Amino acid sequence: MNKLQEKLNFLLEKYSVDVKAVLKNEKTVVIDGKVIPLLSHRCERRFLELKNIVNNGTLVGISVMRVARIVEKGTDIYEELYRELDICQYVLQRKIKSIMVMENDNVLNSIATTEDDIVCTIEISATLACGEIPKDKHEIISQRGIACDVVVDAQLKQDSVYVFGSENKKYTDVDFELYGLSIEEIAIVRAAFGIAQNKNYDEMTAIDANLLKLVDMAKKSAKSGEREVM
Amino acid sequence: MKPLKIAMMSMTHGHTRKYYQTLMDNPKLDWVAVATANDEVKEIFLNSVKGIPCYDSELEMLDAHPEIEAVVLASENSEHLRQMKLCAERGIHILSMKIPTFDMEEYDEMIKLVDENNLVCQIELEMHYNPVIARLKELVKNGEIGKIKSFNATNITLSPVWAFPWQGVPEKSYGKRVSIKEGDSRFRGGALCDHPHIFDMIRHMTGSDFESIYAEVAPNIRPDIEEEDMLSVIGRMKDGTIFSLDPSWSKMEERLKVPGPGWEVFPKRMEVNITLNGEKGTIMTDCFGPNVYHNGCPNDRYTVQYTYFDEWIGLIDEFVDNIRNNKTPLINLKWHKKTIEAMNAVYESISTGKAVKL
Repeated sequence: MNKLQEKLNFLLEKYSVDVKAVLKNEKTVVIDGKVIPLLSHRCERRFLELKNIVNNGTLVGISVMRVARIVEKGTDIYEELYRELDICQYVLQRKIKSIMVMENDNVLNSIATTEDDIVCTIEISATLACGEIPKDKHEIISQRGIACDVVVDAQLKQDSVYVFGSENKKYTDVDFELYGLSIEEIAIVRAAFGIAQNKNYDEMTAIDANLLKLVDMAKKSAKSGEREVM
Repeated sequence: MKPLKIAMMSMTHGHTRKYYQTLMDNPKLDWVAVATANDEVKEIFLNSVKGIPCYDSELEMLDAHPEIEAVVLASENSEHLRQMKLCAERGIHILSMKIPTFDMEEYDEMIKLVDENNLVCQIELEMHYNPVIARLKELVKNGEIGKIKSFNATNITLSPVWAFPWQGVPEKSYGKRVSIKEGDSRFRGGALCDHPHIFDMIRHMTGSDFESIYAEVAPNIRPDIEEEDMLSVIGRMKDGTIFSLDPSWSKMEERLKVPGPGWEVFPKRMEVNITLNGEKGTIMTDCFGPNVYHNGCPNDRYTVQYTYFDEWIGLIDEFVDNIRNNKTPLINLKWHKKTIEAMNAVYESISTGKAVKL
């Protein structure tokens, strides 16, 4: 966390943001004593671009958003569901009104619907070996076009640099200002910096509360086998 | 082995043309004749295949060729029972398209017909003859990821309704006109009816049957068709495995009368991807690849050109073996009944908004 705090301090100083922002962990920042939830995934550029494509008229007549995410064993699948529900609401710029979940130990599948009947499917599994990077895919299907963060006819994302030497290596660098950090680390720093800059503490807290409510509904649905409606 | 004397009926099904090459090339077959359902498919057939007698009437064909031993029912779902009766009363073996019928009374009548006349009736679920599926089955059998915990799969294509219009007619696809849900102008008979493969494959992979199913229909991406084209399905098998299935027509197409180059609007016309999450890891599978790509004629659009589409070779080999050696097909009517019941449960869940117990 020290490395991320250093980068956050660098941005705060560079852009003259005069607050004290301390990264408590990957999901929380403390700004001038206030504890604010970090929705760092929103700062991954792919989701910002998908949001723009969905909402700027590039796609027309949204029908479905499909999400699949596979993470390390031992990860809390409902924390992953929290993340993916937020990504759906953020990308679609719509509220989820109902959710149905089937759960089996460290895997879950979910169908959620938005207020205007767009269907979101979310498939989550915590089955990867320790240290394996998450595999995920986000796809929005509309009457006029499909947007996706994985290239057509591929199952996994590409990296930017591949090294085939005595040891094979790969790199994906996406932020010159925060060069050296991973995509996920960059998102955490950018999210904390964004909140410090915009001071939208209440907005982030409200989003977090909505997501916690949705996750609570999801857990109820998994237990009852029935759809839960907001 | 004596070549099997085989014929085809109707020629209206989207898979009709998949048989042309196999029926011509397979030395175990003697392709005797076809009967076409209308002038349009007759013209397409005559432009595609030379030297096979083509009849306007099924009865005319059957009377002219009493040597026919087996028939491929390349027809709309609503015709299957009638054609099965025609075959059964002549002792002709049957290769049925993937949906024999959604009407379970009709379905039981089909089983009775086949049993009483001691026929082979094989259902065309060609994914079982796909090499990637063969590998996946082997990995599962060898315990590569331990017990399966979730089975997530897509069976997504473009919509065939422009080239094969019966698929856009609820009475011909689903068998009758049933509203998809209250207050919705759409009817059963769309994308779901085109995509039984993943509902079948999960039963093979897990060795279990469906316990509960929940489904939602999404807004159509083709608002001008009267059936569903986008839907999502989740549920649980009796052994605890959960699943997520996407049987949508989610790849947009040009509205061609005859499928061919330039059919795709989205670069990829079809996908069957299966992800198995198990106790010891995950297997991700793309059943059709690797492929090649181009952006040439006719539309200059980036397009996925598939490199493997030979499932019908293995399917026909099994069919001949079943008939000649009196074997029960892997996908027979009795096995397939539970797959059809699960697909009916999808429609029921969409209609009621509740999970359906099977």
